[in-house]
Amino acid sequence: MTGLLEIREKLKLFYSKYEPFILPVIKFLLAFVALNAVNGKLGYMTQLDNVAAVLIVALMCSFLPAGAMIFFAMVFSLAHMYALSMEVALVGLCVYLVMFLIFFRFSPRNALVVVLTPLLCSMNLSYVVPVAVGLLCGPAAAVSVGCGVSVYYLFETIQANESNISTLGEEETLAKIRLLIDGIAGNKGMLVIVAAFAVTVLVVYFIRRLSVDYAWTIAAVAGAMTNVVILLIGDLVYNINISVAGALLGSLLAILVAKVIEFFRFCVDYGRKEVVQFEDDEYYYYVKAIPKMTVSMSTKTVKRINSHAQSSREASVSRSGLPAGRGAQSSRASQTSRTGGRSVVTERTAAARKSYGTGSRTQSRSGDYRTGKSVTMGNAASAESGGAVDDYEELF
Amino acid sequence: MLNEQRIILMTRLASYEKGEGRRNVKIGNYFRSDYIAIQILKSVVSATLVFGIVFAMYVLYDFEAFMQDLYKIDLFVFARNVVTYYAAFVLGYGILTYIVGTWRYAKAKKSLKSYYHNLKKLGAMYNEQK
Repeated sequence: MTGLLEIREKLKLFYSKYEPFILPVIKFLLAFVALNAVNGKLGYMTQLDNVAAVLIVALMCSFLPAGAMIFFAMVFSLAHMYALSMEVALVGLCVYLVMFLIFFRFSPRNALVVVLTPLLCSMNLSYVVPVAVGLLCGPAAAVSVGCGVSVYYLFETIQANESNISTLGEEETLAKIRLLIDGIAGNKGMLVIVAAFAVTVLVVYFIRRLSVDYAWTIAAVAGAMTNVVILLIGDLVYNINISVAGALLGSLLAILVAKVIEFFRFCVDYGRKEVVQFEDDEYYYYVKAIPKMTVSMSTKTVKRINSHAQSSREASVSRSGLPAGRGAQSSRASQTSRTGGRSVVTERTAAARKSYGTGSRTQSRSGDYRTGKSVTMGNAASAESGGAVDDYEELF
Repeated sequence: MLNEQRIILMTRLASYEKGEGRRNVKIGNYFRSDYIAIQILKSVVSATLVFGIVFAMYVLYDFEAFMQDLYKIDLFVFARNVVTYYAAFVLGYGILTYIVGTWRYAKAKKSLKSYYHNLKKLGAMYNEQK
């Protein structure tokens, strides 16, 4: 565990150090993968279905806000639909407009979820989406997940009816529209999955916010189970042919991913939970404090030894009246103790900086900064390095 | 000499202003009734557009049958039904917007209250130094 915590701290430190470079790279990669997925799924317009076009747009997405990724993915998909048939593009545009006007108004900040959901669905990782989103986002993200699933099924419907649409003539405009609307509105499987994912996001979100021990783990397991149960009920009622084994395996994977997310976002030590009660003139307070699991990063001290420093040290030793040999010995001893002993946290590590951020969020609820006390606990790492005393850094 | 507490407080305030605070300040500039009224107005426009799109798709879906039945059906009853569906849709969406708008306004105000409290505290720290 200590090793994992150290790796986490190193990752955090690395991210905070190179954030201005890492974030655009991540956005670029995500846009590149998403646009390639759109091209792979639809790919009817040959001008867009090439790496150069995708690279240019992905590069633009890397420095634009996250919403631009949705916009470009939408433009790409509409262009492919138009290449297949104008009627398909019309239906696609209507679906996007309905989503934009009705749903995005409530969750504009979860733009990435709309891109990631169809992407993960196409990779058969759809069960991970609602659990992960419930842990990381708010309840409004349920809408974004629903929109993402709808987009995925829109692409699926177009792909499934591609040959029929191609064979229908130019004059069969209404038949094409009817074919697509039947494929989207009459798709009970899509409706069941949208409902299951939305309910799962809400279940995971509300359970993880509860003040119970292991809330995040309970939320992930309960969410995965809720998802499977709703899907199975939907399968029984509408006969949508959901693979039970696939749903169970997907849910297990979702729980594993949830544990990884929990490790990075909510890694606390329930064994050291403190429940305290106190009062002031106006209130009784029942406070539960759970320390975060962090390890202090080992700091490297580079000591420069040169002739000038050596001679000055010797001069100072001789001034203090000690013999040269003893002086050198004591100097060596102090060096050993400095490198071998544990360094008290004096510099702000990435974890500490992060705790400021969450502290500010906590503060916004509690309304007083003085309550935001961040304590960095040393556990196994401190035992290994020989130090018995915990490091702590009080912010206020 | 650097005052560490003040620097931390300023960093937090700046981080808040840059992120969540920007949206909250915008919301906080409105009176509650004004903010909710604007949100509902936006919702009515959105719902009208969406209803228009869905109605157009409904007509296009079976356009031939619709045109054939147009001369047989009672147009007044048809129009009344359409208006009823429209009103129900707009009303439902408006109520949802009202609930979400009220919740968001309350949340933003609460957050801003603590933000202003901390600004005041920062001012007090400066005064103490003087």
